[in-house]
Amino acid sequence: MFGPFELKTQFIKIGGKKIHLLEEAGGFVRYRRGDVERLIKKVDGGKLLVIPTPATGYGVKLLMILLREPLAVPPGESVEGFLEAPVDVEVRTGSLTIDRFVPCREKYALYGSVERGAIARYYVSSFTPNEPDSLGVLKVSVENPSGEWKGLDKVVLPLDGTPMYYSPDRAYYPMVRILLRNGGPEVNNTGEPPREGLSSFGPKRALPKFLMRW
Amino acid sequence: MLNLSANWTLVFGPTKLTLNAGDAVLSIVVLALGFVIAKLLERYILELSSSTTYVWVFNEDTAKMLYNMTILIAAFYSLHLLGILAYKVSGTSLSDILTALVVFYFSYLLAKKSRDYMLMRTTPEKLPEVQIKAKLLYYTVITFAFFLSLNIAGLSGRLSTIIAAAGITGIVLGFASQTVVANFISGVFMYFDKPLKIGDAVRIGDVEGIVNDIRILSTRIQQWDGTLVRIPNEKLFNSNIINLQKYPVRRAEITVGIAYKEDAQRAIDVILSVLDEEPHVLAIPEPRVYVHDLGNSSVNITVWAWVPSSLWVGQNLLRSKYGLLQRIKEALDREGIEIPFPQRVNWFAEPIRIRVEDEGKG
Repeated sequence: MFGPFELKTQFIKIGGKKIHLLEEAGGFVRYRRGDVERLIKKVDGGKLLVIPTPATGYGVKLLMILLREPLAVPPGESVEGFLEAPVDVEVRTGSLTIDRFVPCREKYALYGSVERGAIARYYVSSFTPNEPDSLGVLKVSVENPSGEWKGLDKVVLPLDGTPMYYSPDRAYYPMVRILLRNGGPEVNNTGEPPREGLSSFGPKRALPKFLMRW
Repeated sequence: MLNLSANWTLVFGPTKLTLNAGDAVLSIVVLALGFVIAKLLERYILELSSSTTYVWVFNEDTAKMLYNMTILIAAFYSLHLLGILAYKVSGTSLSDILTALVVFYFSYLLAKKSRDYMLMRTTPEKLPEVQIKAKLLYYTVITFAFFLSLNIAGLSGRLSTIIAAAGITGIVLGFASQTVVANFISGVFMYFDKPLKIGDAVRIGDVEGIVNDIRILSTRIQQWDGTLVRIPNEKLFNSNIINLQKYPVRRAEITVGIAYKEDAQRAIDVILSVLDEEPHVLAIPEPRVYVHDLGNSSVNITVWAWVPSSLWVGQNLLRSKYGLLQRIKEALDREGIEIPFPQRVNWFAEPIRIRVEDEGKG
């Protein structure tokens, strides 16, 4: 569950992880997630904020989602669909981050060559027309403005500075538009929410377009 | 009452110094005034440093520097009033020598401050390159100030004499300092060749660690155990430098031995499943696991796994390499796959006679 939580005894479940809040004497709340423990001083109106953050893991700046079934797009056509995507979780009190963890499978891959490539967070997903039942979701629109059929086997997305959106049970990356040009797919992180009614975190702005060279 | 027109004569060995009482009083007043101005200036800069956004200009160091400069100027003027600066030492006036020293001192401070400013303003990514540029600027200003000071002191005219006199000494020193020169030139070549930069993880011979500093004559490597090794640039330039983090990824290699009776393919599958679960083993390029050697006591299986370079060095090996080794061992144990001890099968040409003693018999 994402969102603000009252500082009182309760369980918060996110993906496969569980956070345990336990009220203690002296106006303290003990935060516990596995071996991680924090002691939080209770204040009136004080909340624990559990929010999704981009899946940067140990500090990478790209997310690579490999399509389980590569996509073929006819000339002049566009398709819209969803991908499962990994997210990280940040736990805050006010603006202070007290915990950060990876709630789903954590894997990395090299994007590009050994000499000039970069390490990206890695995930494998199917392209589905309907929203998948996963913790993290990426909505993509793939357009082929060229006069030839174009294929897409992966989506690579810069993560640095991207806003995130969330509902109580799901995290969303901003809407991503991919143009299949002759020079390689052009990825545009629009910064816009993929649907109405989502809470947001981070400045709502589009990121510079990213050309998938590899 | 003090007679301001009175003259006093001070004798220092062969040198006689005549002081006028009026000039002496005036010089003390100038010195006191200089002190007051210096204090006011220092206080003003310190106040400014707490409110300005240009902290690199207006700070405690600048306040101290201006304070010293004002005091020095006042002291100079006082000595000038007393006529002391007109005296000559080895054909050069005391005034010129002191001016030269002051010019050199303040040039040094300026060079130091510029160097610090360059380092302070740069981003961590550009720091290694800026560090070298800052050092070059620093040494250029110092060298320029040195020759300027020589000129002010009136010694530049005699520079050729000094150089000629230094010639013989130079030859002697040349032999002695050839290592220093070689180190210096290697340092300059290294700047252009860029085999390493500050912050890189490197292995040079037996030394492995992070490049801590690249200086004009030597390079310092902070080893993983926290010790600092100084390597002369000449030696470094002629060594094989292995840069462990030049590229974002590198291939790690681990060898695991299993018993001959075990199914090698099953062991490979078990190891592959461990690699798949390990976050820091990259999915692309794919890891490879294969039988690499039929050893004396074991079938040796080698693992090639691509990993982030930054996680396969120093203390990070604890959670990457050693963690992975432990998980492979645990997985093989769970599957009942034996990692054998060295063992030897002995064959005897003739049957061995074994005598069993009956302990029951006395």
